[in-house]
Amino acid sequence: MRISLNWLKKYVSVPVSNEDLIRLIGARLVEVEGVIDESAKYNNIYVAKVVSAEKIPDTHLTLCQIYVGDKEIDKVEKNEAGLVQVVCGAPNVHIGMLAAWIAPGAIVPVSVHEDAPFVIGKRKMLNKYDSFGMLAGADELDFGGDHSGIVEINPSEAQPGDLLSDVFELNDLILEIENKSLTHRPDCFGIIGFAREVAGILGEKFDEPEFLTEEKVFPKGFFAKWGNGIRAKKSELTVNIANPEICPRYSCAVIKVVEPTAEDKYLSEMKILLAKSGMQSVSKIVDITNYLMLLTGQPLHAFDYDKFLAVGGSEKPIVNVRLAYGGETIELLDGKEIVCVPSDILITSNDVPVAMAGAMGGKNTEIDESTNNVLLESASFSLFNLRKTQMEHGIFSEAITRFTKGVPAGGTFNVLAEAIKEINGKPLDACDAFVGWKKPQEVVVSVSEINALLGTDYSKKLIIETLSNVGFDIESSGDVLTVWAKVWRTDIHIKEDIIEEVGRLLGYDNIEPTLPRHATAEKNRMLELKSHIREIMKEYGANEVLTYSFVSERLLKKAGLDANNSYKIVNSISPDLQYVRQTIVPSLLEKAYLNQKLPVDKFAIFEVNKVYQKCWGMDDENVPVERMQMGFVVAERKTTGDAYYKAKFFAEKMLEELNIKVKFLPLRSLAADALPFENKRAAEIWTLDDQYVGVVGEFKNSVRRNFKLAEYLAGFELGVDLINQLAGIRAVKSDFEVKDQIDETVTTDKKYAEVLAEVSGKYPNAVITPVSIYQPEGASKKNITFHIEKY
Amino acid sequence: MNELESLKKELKDLNAQYAQIRDIAPEERGKFGRELNARKMAILEKIRVAEEAALDVAVEPLDVTAPCGVNEPLPTTYSVFQGSRHPLMTELDRVVSIYQMMGFDVVESRQLDDEFHMFDSLNFAKEHPARDGYDTFRTEEGLIPPAHTSTMQHRVLKMYRDKLAQGGEIAVVVPGRVYRNEDVDATHEHTFYQCEGVYVSRDCTMGDMLGILREFFEKYYEQKLNIRTQPGYFPFTEPSLEFLIEKPKALGGKKGDYLEMLGCGMIHPNVLKMAGIDPNEYHGFAWGGGIDRLVMLRYGLMDVRHFESGDLRFLREIK
Repeated sequence: MRISLNWLKKYVSVPVSNEDLIRLIGARLVEVEGVIDESAKYNNIYVAKVVSAEKIPDTHLTLCQIYVGDKEIDKVEKNEAGLVQVVCGAPNVHIGMLAAWIAPGAIVPVSVHEDAPFVIGKRKMLNKYDSFGMLAGADELDFGGDHSGIVEINPSEAQPGDLLSDVFELNDLILEIENKSLTHRPDCFGIIGFAREVAGILGEKFDEPEFLTEEKVFPKGFFAKWGNGIRAKKSELTVNIANPEICPRYSCAVIKVVEPTAEDKYLSEMKILLAKSGMQSVSKIVDITNYLMLLTGQPLHAFDYDKFLAVGGSEKPIVNVRLAYGGETIELLDGKEIVCVPSDILITSNDVPVAMAGAMGGKNTEIDESTNNVLLESASFSLFNLRKTQMEHGIFSEAITRFTKGVPAGGTFNVLAEAIKEINGKPLDACDAFVGWKKPQEVVVSVSEINALLGTDYSKKLIIETLSNVGFDIESSGDVLTVWAKVWRTDIHIKEDIIEEVGRLLGYDNIEPTLPRHATAEKNRMLELKSHIREIMKEYGANEVLTYSFVSERLLKKAGLDANNSYKIVNSISPDLQYVRQTIVPSLLEKAYLNQKLPVDKFAIFEVNKVYQKCWGMDDENVPVERMQMGFVVAERKTTGDAYYKAKFFAEKMLEELNIKVKFLPLRSLAADALPFENKRAAEIWTLDDQYVGVVGEFKNSVRRNFKLAEYLAGFELGVDLINQLAGIRAVKSDFEVKDQIDETVTTDKKYAEVLAEVSGKYPNAVITPVSIYQPEGASKKNITFHIEKY
Repeated sequence: MNELESLKKELKDLNAQYAQIRDIAPEERGKFGRELNARKMAILEKIRVAEEAALDVAVEPLDVTAPCGVNEPLPTTYSVFQGSRHPLMTELDRVVSIYQMMGFDVVESRQLDDEFHMFDSLNFAKEHPARDGYDTFRTEEGLIPPAHTSTMQHRVLKMYRDKLAQGGEIAVVVPGRVYRNEDVDATHEHTFYQCEGVYVSRDCTMGDMLGILREFFEKYYEQKLNIRTQPGYFPFTEPSLEFLIEKPKALGGKKGDYLEMLGCGMIHPNVLKMAGIDPNEYHGFAWGGGIDRLVMLRYGLMDVRHFESGDLRFLREIK
C-alpha cells in the first residue's frame, strides 16, 4: 500500500519533521518498506496558457505560442511578446487553455526513477520550428496512463507561470507500506485510519471526519425500517443475503447520475491522488469509488443500474448475495471469464451473476458513457471466502486486498452516503441490509495489568489519554478501565489487545530492557553429539555439507530408492524438490558429482540431518516418525583400489572415538538406507550387542554410473539416534606394558573377522590393530599381521 | 538366449515394424506410430534395467570385515587442513550456547509437521489469510514442512509446563530447519534455519523480552548494540513486534542503519490456554528469527545460496 504524506497531512497535523514522522510510523504503527521521494519530481514544470495554436499543414502537429509568466526561465527564448514557442502533437490543444509545460532541462516525471531519466530540451521540429520543452499529457506527468491528449488545468485554480507542484501539492513523500504487518488492521487500509494512528502516535486527539459518525446525505424521513435494516420508503429494492457468514452487511443505493460538467475535463486532485496511490483514473464515478476506498478503506462498487435490471430480467431490482453454484461462470470487468467455485460469493441480479463480491464487477453491468443511473454498493464480505477467491482465481485488486483483511461492517453505510455526496447524484432508492453485524464488545483491563505485561510505569491518565486519542471510549473505576472500540476496530477482543495499543502508541522503544531471572540450562545430548561428530570429521579432513530436505523423483531413482516411500510435496517449487528425502546419501552423491566435476580430486563429505520415510509410520503425536541420520561419501578421481575400506575406516574410527564398538556383517538389508549400496562390497554395521547402526560400502555400479562418478567411491549412512544413546566418553589408555606384533597365515577365503576373533581369544584384554594383509603372488594363503598392546 | 539378448531381438523386430507405416491409411498412421513408440519405450526401459542388473552382477565380492584389501595399504583419513564444519552449523551451535548460558534449554525443531502445530495451536483461525503469509509447502497427506520454528511452541509449552507449577519458569530455545515456498535468489532460500525462543513465568514483562534479545545479540556480535522495534502482526503473540539492531560497526554498519533480526511478542493467551497454561496466572514471550542472515552478516557473505550448494570451494574456504 502507498501512503502520500501530503494527503495524510490533510487529516492530521504533524508538528515533527518528515524524517521523524516516518521513523515514528515505523516504530509505532507499521513497517515502512520504502519512501518514494517526489520532492524534486515536478521541478520546472509550469502552468502555461496557450495563446496561439496553428495547425502545421500535413502533420498532426500544432505550433503554439504559450505564456508561462513573466519570470525569466533558463534555456528558454521568449519572443518580443514574451511568449514561448512549443510544438504540440495532442489533438486537444486549443487557444486559451491552461496546460502543464515541462520546461527545457526538466525531467519528464514519468521517467524520473528510470536509469536514464528523459529530459526535454530545445528541439528543432520538422527542421524549421524551434520548440522549447513540451506540453504534457497525464501519462508523461505520471498521473496515469491517459495518452489521449494534454492535461487541461482549471483556470480558477491556477495562473500561468505557477509551478505545477505548488498548484497540486506535488512536493510529496510516498510511503510504501508492508501490508503483512497490518493483516489485522483493515481500518489502516485508508488514509483516515492511518491518520488516526499517526495522531495517536504524536499524542494528539484525532479529529474524526464528520461523515464517518454522522450521515447527512439522505433527506430526513427518507428511510423506513426493513427487516434488521432500513430501506427507502416506497423502495423497490430487495436485498437478499443468503447467509450472514458471507456478508454481514450490504448497503446500496440507486443514484441518478448528473450530467457531465465543464469542470470534469480538468486535471483534478482526485486523479492525482489515485495515481500517487498506484491506481488509474477510469471514469468520474469509478474514480470516486476508488478515491473513497483509498480514503476510508471501504471498497465500493458501481453497477450500471439499467443494465442490472435488464440482466436480471425482473421489473424491480432484486439484489442477491449468495455463494456461487459450482461451475457457474461470470465475465469480469477485465474481460476474464471465471468459472466459479462454491466458496466464491456472487452478487446477482434476480439470480444472474453481476459481480464476484469483493473481487471484481461483472462485464454485463459495467458503467460507461451512456450510464444514466448507478447502483452503488458498499458492503462487508467474509474475509475467509474472499481469501479463497483470491487464491483460486488469482485476483489481486485493491478491493480484495482490503476485503481479505476483514472490512468492518460498521462503516459501510456512511461511506455509501459520502460517495453519493461526492458524485453529487440524487439518491432514488437505497437499502441498508444487515444480518450478522455485531458491535464491538467491551474490554476490561486494569492499569496494573498493562504495566505488568509491558514492564512500564504508565499513569492511568496517560493511558486513558493515549487510548481516547485514537477513538476508544473509556470508563474508569479505580485501577480498572472498561474500554469500547469504535466500529472500525474489529481487532479488539481481549485485554492484551488494549495493552498492545498502549505499548505501541507510546512506543515499545520507550520500554526499558531488563533481564528476567533464569535457572541453569540442561544439556542437549543430541546437539553436543552432532557438534562432536562435526569436530571428529573435520579432524579427518572431511567436509560438512548441507543439502535440501527435498529431492527429485529422478534422484531417488538414480540411487535405487522407491519414491512411494517418500512424502510428496504437492506444491513444490520444481520437480527437483518434490519429495521429502528418505536418507542422506543420495543427496551427497549429487554433491559429489558437482565437486568431482570442478574438479576436486579427493574429498569426503558428510551431513547429519533429519529424514522421514512413509514406511516408518506416525509417532505418538500422529506426525511422521523422524530420524536423525548421518550420510557420508568419499570420492576420488584417478584412484584405484577398494574404496570400501576407506569409508569403513572413517566410520569405524569415528564410532570408536564415540566409544562405540561395532562389527561388520554381510549386507542383506532391503531398507532404504541400504538400497544404493552393492551387497558384495558393502556391510551392515551392528553393535557388539546386535543393534543396527547403519550401512557402509561401495555403491552399485548402476548407482555410480547414474551419478556419473569416478570408480573410487564409497560411503555410509548411520542412525544417529542410536549413536546418541550409545555414545560415551572414550577411556584414556594408561601406559602400555607390552607391545607385540604377530603374523597369522590363513586361507584366502577366511574372513578377517574370524582371524581377529581367534587372535583376541589368545590375547584377552589387549588392543589389537591390523598392520597389513599380504598375499604373495601365486600363493594360496594370505598373511595377516596384527599389532598387539597389552595393558 | 538370456533376457537381455531376447529384449534386443524384440527391439529389432519392433523397429522393423516401422516400415509397415507406408501400408497404413494416412488417418490411421498417427495412432499406429504412437502405439509403436509406446511399445518401443517400454522395451528400452526393460533393456536399461537389464543392463544395469548385468552391470551389478559383474562385481567382485570383498571381505567386509577386513581393514584393507589384500596387498593394499591400510586406509588413512585426509589432512585436517582440508576438513571443515559447515558455517551455519557452527554458528547455530554458538547461538544455542549463548542462550544456554542465559539459562535456556534447547529442543530441536521437527522438519515435517502438521497443520495443528504449524497453525491451529498458534491461534491462527481456520482458513485465515494470515496463514498465506507463510508460503507453506504441503504433502499429499496435508503435512507441512514447517515454515517457522514456532511449530514447536505448543510442544515445548506442554513439555515444560510442570516447571511453572514448581515455581520455576519455562525458558527454551528451538533451533531448526524451516521451509518457505519462494523463489531462490541471493537473499532468499526456500530452505533456511531459524531459532525460536520461549519464556513463560508469573511476572515476566515485555521489558524482559527486549532485555534478553539485546543481551543475545550483544553476546553474538561481541559488542554493545543499539536496538529498535517496530509493530508487527503474528496471531500467536499480542502485542507483536519486529526486533531490529543497529548494524554492528565492526561489520561495516553506519549510524541509523537498522536491520530486522526477528519477530517477537508476548505469547497470546489462547496459545498458553491451548497448552494447558492458565493465562491469568502466567504470561510469556516468544521470538523467532533466521540464522542464515545472522551468519551472512557475521561472515560478510552476499549470497545465501552458498549454504546449501555443497560447493567445496566455498566450504573449505570459510571453515
